Amino acid sequence: MTSGPVGVASPESRVDGAARLPKKPGPTPFTIVTTLGAVVMTVVTARAVGFSFEGLIENLTRPNSVVEGLLNPDFSQIWSERSRAAFIETLQLAVLGTVAGASVALPLALWSTRVGNPNTFLRSIVRIFNNIVRAIPDLLWALIFVSAVGIGALSGLLALFFFSLAVTTKLTSDVLDGIDPGPVEAANASGAGLTQMLRTAVVPQILPSYSSFVLYNFELNLRSSAVIGLVGAGGIGERIEFFRSRGEWEEMWGLVVMFFLVVMIIEAFSVTLRRRLV
Amino acid sequence: MRTDLSRGAPVRATDLSAKDWPQLPKPPRQVFKWVATTIIAAIVLWSFIGLDAKWSRLLDAPADLYTLGRLMFSQMEASEIRPLIGKMWESISIAWMGTLIAAIFAVPLSFFAAENLVGRPVAWIIRQVLNLLRAIPEIIIALAFIPVFGLTPMAGVLAIGVGSIGTLGKLFYEIIEGIERGPIEATDAVGASRSQRLRWGVLPQVTPELTSFILYRFEVNIRASAILGVLGVGGIGTDLTQAIRFKEWGTAGLALIIVVVGTIAVDTVSGLVRRRIVRGPGASSDGGSFEAHEAELIAESVND
Amino acid sequence: MIRFSNASVTYPGGVQAMRDLDLTIEPGEFVVIVGLSGAGKSTLIRAVNGLVPLTSGQLQVNERDVTTLNRSGMRDLRSEVGMIFQGFNLVDRTTVLKNVLMGRLHEAPTWRTLLGLYSKADVHLAAQALDRVEIIDKAYVRASNLSGGQRQRVGIARALAQEPSIILADEPVASLDPPTSHVVMRYLQQIGRELGITVIVNLHFLDLATAYADRIIGLRDGALVFDGPGSECDADVFESIYGRSLTADDTMAKQAAL
Repeated sequence: MTSGPVGVASPESRVDGAARLPKKPGPTPFTIVTTLGAVVMTVVTARAVGFSFEGLIENLTRPNSVVEGLLNPDFSQIWSERSRAAFIETLQLAVLGTVAGASVALPLALWSTRVGNPNTFLRSIVRIFNNIVRAIPDLLWALIFVSAVGIGALSGLLALFFFSLAVTTKLTSDVLDGIDPGPVEAANASGAGLTQMLRTAVVPQILPSYSSFVLYNFELNLRSSAVIGLVGAGGIGERIEFFRSRGEWEEMWGLVVMFFLVVMIIEAFSVTLRRRLV
Repeated sequence: MRTDLSRGAPVRATDLSAKDWPQLPKPPRQVFKWVATTIIAAIVLWSFIGLDAKWSRLLDAPADLYTLGRLMFSQMEASEIRPLIGKMWESISIAWMGTLIAAIFAVPLSFFAAENLVGRPVAWIIRQVLNLLRAIPEIIIALAFIPVFGLTPMAGVLAIGVGSIGTLGKLFYEIIEGIERGPIEATDAVGASRSQRLRWGVLPQVTPELTSFILYRFEVNIRASAILGVLGVGGIGTDLTQAIRFKEWGTAGLALIIVVVGTIAVDTVSGLVRRRIVRGPGASSDGGSFEAHEAELIAESVND
Repeated sequence: MIRFSNASVTYPGGVQAMRDLDLTIEPGEFVVIVGLSGAGKSTLIRAVNGLVPLTSGQLQVNERDVTTLNRSGMRDLRSEVGMIFQGFNLVDRTTVLKNVLMGRLHEAPTWRTLLGLYSKADVHLAAQALDRVEIIDKAYVRASNLSGGQRQRVGIARALAQEPSIILADEPVASLDPPTSHVVMRYLQQIGRELGITVIVNLHFLDLATAYADRIIGLRDGALVFDGPGSECDADVFESIYGRSLTADDTMAKQAAL
């Protein structure tokens, strides 16, 4: 995987006796083990998912109504009252989820680093919490909240809150590793408290990256807010699920295509803004 | 403690007021900042007022969550651990095969999206394809594959495969565009063909990074495959959804724990391998650098 | 007043950076510490404000026993001791004024800091401090847009904004060219004389030390090997500090001429 070219015979021809190539280094044990691991993993997982090329080709070439629907999307649905309301709800969910998640993510990220949290024990608690939140994907959060709080936008918001928390915390704590320690030393030497030091010496350094992550997170949330509706957590996903359950593929794809066009346009704005920030 | 500055402060050893009041220059106007802040505040306010959420329920949410947690984590049965771990393995398998398929398509696509390898128009077109694939969540793609493959893991594999091509391709071409010109020019100089140029000028430089990005995407995809299960294509997500639907809270709790533990475990192993690949042997195991790189890519993300 | 008694510092790796130091510095003195890198200059300076804890012995600063201070006592002490750094340690992305206001953190309530609202009195003090180092016109410029000398002046202003009774300067001119170095040294000297602040400076260059110091302290391997006025610090003394004779590398004037 990481080795150099394999299987090239070392050249026997030499101009003179002096020009002898050093012995070509073989692949390292690490490379051998990981390559072997990858091959074994592939064989085992292929069996687990029932992978076969024949099945793949056969299924993909068989005509089916869903793909036909994708080729003839019906956009008329978009203008219905319900679809429009669902679409706006999706945007609102994404905005609020991002803002709520991002505001909690900043302190959580700070407290997960040595500089922001000198107490080793508390730091590990924060890190464990962050890791657990990060291991649960958006739709699972939605499932959890739909069963705990009930069907509706509030569950969606809570799900997006935790999802945003995970994403922004992770990205922010990664840039925190690379900050300039000088201002931190200066703040400490002036008798500043921990919170004051973080606010004046650390936050200004990461603010551009952090803002950029928040925007990136917003882009992710736009997409997630379409997904969480599939389990009843509000937003456009509920409409998608509605058409899907009725087998109205043309309408479903019309909605999906439209929604992701809008997402891509918003993303383009967001990316321009992010570039300005960094 | 502080010197009273408003009326003729008493002279202290450390008093700074040797001169008259110094005049600060006029603070600059920050139009962009104020406009941006106002717009964002307005959007947030609009969302808050407009969202039809039952806010009163928010106060009950912690109690509801606690009740749910108690139901989930008090009725777990040890006999279910084994089958559920099997299902988690199925999720991992879906993620692995999906990632592999994505990588197989993303590598060649990324070569055609890198401006230092092909012409601008070609790169632009390929990039738009990658962007489109990136914009659509796996679960929506899965909606298209389920009728084709039925409720089988293969529908999940292909959904993840197609969904990851966009992200992997984008990361790949960014890496390729970041490589040194020298080796490419050297292969050109000896009269290499285009495919030889790729093989000897480009691949050796980018293989470690490509590999580690594929592994990273694998980690991301484990989460994706867990949620694909919600649609019923298999893996632990399917069991979790079923358990919640039929209010088998003990099973749901156990499945949730297995998802978290399994995800963290795979993250850890894969993370170690990635670090070793990127930094070479003898690298310290303290994390950060790869993720920091990823974060940097996102922060500077170029989407064209 | 600063008084080290029998003070030692040993780092976790086993390096002894301070050996049985006995030293008293009176209020208002301008002291320069010289010695090879690794002789313990930085350790001495950082011991004064508790950034480096003593491993044994006593240290009194302004009637406080530094070795027994709790967290808040330590912050009180540090608020009375300004510090200037070799690398300036400014937050590059923020304005000069905000950097200087960092010197007021100890006096500001945390909620105000969090909101970025500084009191009028604090802003005035920061303005005065900036005025003293004659850089007030740059108050709203980003720190990253300043030259090295200007940045160090902002560093001095930040220390001054603390209204300190002691200023510690750790190699303040090591990243600067000779003319700028003299400017910075003159500001430090002026501050000491006019405001009565005790100034302790680490320097590498001997000619700078003798030009500005009231008192020179020589360190070698963490131990005190010289303590006297700048005028007494001749080539022989120098050899005892550096363990070798003077070379062009050790004086700024000669190095600049190279």
